[in-house]
Amino acid sequence: MAIRQRARSTRVLVVILVAVSLAIITVDYRSGDAGPLAAAGRAVNSAIAPLQRAVSSVVQPIGDFFSSLARLPSLAERNRALQTEVDDLKTVRQANQELARRIDSLEQLLGLETITVRSIPARVIASGVSNFEWSVTIDRGSDDGILVNMPVVTGASDGPRLVGRVLRVTPISSTVQLLIDRDFAVPGRLSTSKEMGLVEGRGEDDLRMDLLSPGVEVSETQPESVFTVGYRVNGQRGLYPPGLLIGTVSRAFSEPDSVESYVTVRPAVDFSTLEYVLVLARGRSDEEVAP
Amino acid sequence: MRRAVVLIAVILTALLLQTTVFPELTLLGIKPELLYLVTVVFAALRGPEEGALVGFVGGLAQDFMLNTPKGITALTLTILGYTVGLARQYITSPSPLLPAILVALGTAAGVAFHQGVGFLIGEEDAPFGYLAKVVLLTAVYGAILTPIFYPVLRRAAAATHAGRVVRF
Repeated sequence: MAIRQRARSTRVLVVILVAVSLAIITVDYRSGDAGPLAAAGRAVNSAIAPLQRAVSSVVQPIGDFFSSLARLPSLAERNRALQTEVDDLKTVRQANQELARRIDSLEQLLGLETITVRSIPARVIASGVSNFEWSVTIDRGSDDGILVNMPVVTGASDGPRLVGRVLRVTPISSTVQLLIDRDFAVPGRLSTSKEMGLVEGRGEDDLRMDLLSPGVEVSETQPESVFTVGYRVNGQRGLYPPGLLIGTVSRAFSEPDSVESYVTVRPAVDFSTLEYVLVLARGRSDEEVAP
Repeated sequence: MRRAVVLIAVILTALLLQTTVFPELTLLGIKPELLYLVTVVFAALRGPEEGALVGFVGGLAQDFMLNTPKGITALTLTILGYTVGLARQYITSPSPLLPAILVALGTAAGVAFHQGVGFLIGEEDAPFGYLAKVVLLTAVYGAILTPIFYPVLRRAAAATHAGRVVRF
């Protein structure tokens, strides 16, 4: 008798939990990023962020140690190669600085508007929890001025490579949706043909750049880069500043009788070794005022 | 009270390992599903009621770290915990591999169910090949990890109740 009673109370509990889950799915599906659920989500995420930071600061050096142990023999040679490359790049950079100064003065002369970008450095403290979403958690949040949808890059500020965009923020941490996530899309431009298209994440596979016109020329000999495009619709700027490197074209597909062709793009960032990123904060208030 | 603290500690630890350690330790690029493992083991040890409860709380916590509508993982793991807890009562196999087998089957079914619900509400668009790979590899990885986590989880499950512990 007692067992039957217990079985019934278990069934009641399960029915209640399933009903609550279904209610949560419905409410969240309808209300999106507002409401009590979002607040609860922020609470959970900010509770776990300090722990993630602590664990990753312990785990990362261990991982680095073992991976460097495996690569030890080739390190000296690689170091030499990199040193020569650094010397070359220093020269190029000096030339570029000269060019940047000239461009600045010309832009001022023409009265062109320049976009000032403030960047917030952050450390990657965790990866996404699911196999179906590609994201990382960083250790800066709304307290540091990070807002949802801000672009995230890595590399030097004069050669930024696109990482993704801010998806969620808590006061002390943010979740960054990576470029390779299946929900990610960014307008891009091929470097030589200046052809524009939409670059979309494909998970583990290379990115896919769609909406190219059919006869687009993609050079086979030298790697073609894809950069973000700055655009403006109805006075509203796109999310991404122009000129962030997205990746290089890995394959071009064009069928002669199709309306559009596409290329696949290998991301410029190695997401498995991502450690530091920059969040690009553009003056939001300026944007509202600008015509 | 003690039960709530132990449960929260177990779930937080699982989420923490899932997001910091296991992204570095993938099986052919696929992370394990530790909360599915925790739910199955708790359900096998403590029955359908505890299984459903652990699944719901753990699933909800995981949902808050996902971009899909909240509640899908909670739903999946509630049903998974209840089903495994019920099924466990009818299995009399003394095999020491039983927990690993239950985790593998439970994870495969759970991941497929989760993606099925996501597909029905129009959220998931992962190609079938990738889905099959994830289902298979998370199941295998879960089975591999079970012997490592099982002793810890059994102790945690015992701590949630002062009374007797179901062993197998």
